[in-house]
Amino acid sequence: MRQALFAAQAQHPAIPWLGLVLLMSSVMLLSVLVGAGEVGALRALAVLAGDGDPEARFVVGSLRLPRTLIGVVVGLALGCAGALLQAVTRNPLAEPGLLGVSAGSAFAVAVALLLGASATTLRVSAAQLGALAGCLCVLSVARLRGVGGDPVRLVLAGAAFSGLLASLTALLLLFDQRAADEIRFWVIGSLSGRRLDDLLAVLPSLAVASLIVLSIARPLAALSLGERVAAGLGHRPGRVRLLVIVAVALLVGAATAIAGPIAFVGLVVPFAARALAGPDIRRVLWLCLPLGPLMVVSADILSRLLVAPSEMPLGVLTALCGAPVLVAVVRARRLPTL
Amino acid sequence: MSLLFVARSAARDKMRPSTAPPVPHGSWRLRWQWPGGGEASLLISRRSALANLGLLLALMVASGVYLALGSVRLAPQSLVAVLLGGGGLMDRFMVIELRLPRLWAACLTGAAFAVAGCLMQTLARNRLATPGIIGIDNGATAFAVASVVGLGVSLAPPAMALAGAATAAAITFGLTAGGGSRGYRFIVAGIGVGAVFGAITQLLLARVDMDTANAAYPWTVGTLNARPTGALLVLAVGSAVGLVMAMALSRALSLMRFSDAVAQGLGSQVARRRWQVLAVSVLLTGLAVAVAGPVGMVGLIGPEIARSLSCRRGVPIIASAQAGALVMVLADLVGRVLLAPIELPVGIVTAVVGGPWLLWILLRPLRSLA
Repeated sequence: MRQALFAAQAQHPAIPWLGLVLLMSSVMLLSVLVGAGEVGALRALAVLAGDGDPEARFVVGSLRLPRTLIGVVVGLALGCAGALLQAVTRNPLAEPGLLGVSAGSAFAVAVALLLGASATTLRVSAAQLGALAGCLCVLSVARLRGVGGDPVRLVLAGAAFSGLLASLTALLLLFDQRAADEIRFWVIGSLSGRRLDDLLAVLPSLAVASLIVLSIARPLAALSLGERVAAGLGHRPGRVRLLVIVAVALLVGAATAIAGPIAFVGLVVPFAARALAGPDIRRVLWLCLPLGPLMVVSADILSRLLVAPSEMPLGVLTALCGAPVLVAVVRARRLPTL
Repeated sequence: MSLLFVARSAARDKMRPSTAPPVPHGSWRLRWQWPGGGEASLLISRRSALANLGLLLALMVASGVYLALGSVRLAPQSLVAVLLGGGGLMDRFMVIELRLPRLWAACLTGAAFAVAGCLMQTLARNRLATPGIIGIDNGATAFAVASVVGLGVSLAPPAMALAGAATAAAITFGLTAGGGSRGYRFIVAGIGVGAVFGAITQLLLARVDMDTANAAYPWTVGTLNARPTGALLVLAVGSAVGLVMAMALSRALSLMRFSDAVAQGLGSQVARRRWQVLAVSVLLTGLAVAVAGPVGMVGLIGPEIARSLSCRRGVPIIASAQAGALVMVLADLVGRVLLAPIELPVGIVTAVVGGPWLLWILLRPLRSLA
């Protein structure tokens, strides 16, 4: 583990990373300061400085701060999950939302709610199990049929799969009014109205996922040189792949359990990180740490402000930024393979 | 060989034989005499004719069941009585006023979606390239919802849906113009465009009050429950025009399945025909979306059924239309009857049936469309 940490540090892209961390912190500050309601930036600043009126105190402390923290965690999880999935499938388009991992997790949560589970922890484990099942399903079917080598067809298979799961989820919600009311706002993907308890419920699994990522960063980087090279360097490709898939399922399941299925974050964030840091997965993962929260929190700020009194689903904004990136990647004359 | 051929044709010119060339295997020939003395004949593929007849029969049976079943069931004899102009007042109201317009809407939208899908598949030479998958449905939906949000009067004015379909098609084709409209990249670019329009729809719905959004929701999934009457009329006219145009293009379409060079060599104006096919497909998609919302899966299932039933020589347009209507009628019937007090939107029924089908098509070994 120490060796892995050391190796990861050696691959640390210091300057862009510091810049991105600064940017992320300022966006987080902005997310605490502005909002749709009456409490303006000055009153919020006063709260941060230690005084301020009770209303502002409530809005900042109980609404905006949890929301910002949740956005940070969701961004971290989705960005890293995208980078990992892309590295392990060697496909720049492999994104948890596009491949049906998020849809699998949403479907599992809908089933759990329908069966009567309402505790948050149960929802988290259901989401993670669903994500694992979705991930294994798409990847194994694609592998079975030899589609995995073609980045674009893998995405099509994922789109078909997630469309099927989304309509099945909608079907389930028609059966049960209570579940439908509970899930209707969650299923679109949004950060509004989430509590810190939800965040606490996913922290253990995120810790497990980050341990897994630390232990496999190096073998994964070796794996990008090809299976034989990785085996020659003393890694076991099959085990590494399985661990990566488990980590992706933990991360995506956690993010989905809190915020609902949000697509395209796992596409845009690693895309930008690769543009800044090159193809090495360790450098990419370092950059995903600030980039993911940066994207999700800024999208969340926009979702609060654009239609001011009401609220826009977060998934809308991520799709609006993500789909052009998807089209750009697809249009490239030579599809980059990782 | 060629010499022999020349000799034979010269002899035939001289003698003017009354026997026409032999009928190819598996076809029927219709011959008739014009009053002026000329003679005309038409070759009909036996398998296609039987497939079309079978589909028509199935569609009629399905329509009968559709009219009879529902929250109130009708006995077959009273349904026949109503259709012949008699029957009880209540039965008449239910069949003529409630179920028949909906049946018409189902048939027309199903046929329009399926023909649009068939045309687009042939154009892109890929059976996955249906308007629903490459984002044209979503474009039409976004524009139609915009008109609902902006005007707040009626659901989905057809003109707006048509404009949306055209915009989405233009963007998708424009983005992939360099690579040609071939292959999977085109489709994934279309998925991206569709995702943007889907997000715009959500954005528009987020801006309006809850009641309007709830009213528009089933329609954004695809349902025949909220069909606007004006749009249905426009669709009836538009789909008649579109079907005739598609039939007129059928020869160009069957050439389009070969490579551009071959089609050009056989005398088809490839670029022009491609524009026409695209225009017809967009027209049908936009008008159908204005009535029923995005039920894109019919565009995949309908042509697939038609293709597997009829002969592989041509592009089965009429069979696609009938198969699409059949699928739509059956899906709406299932949606109405299955969970009786609750009504399943037809879009969800087709998605649940069509999703596995899509995966199966995608994952089975590659085979060409022809």
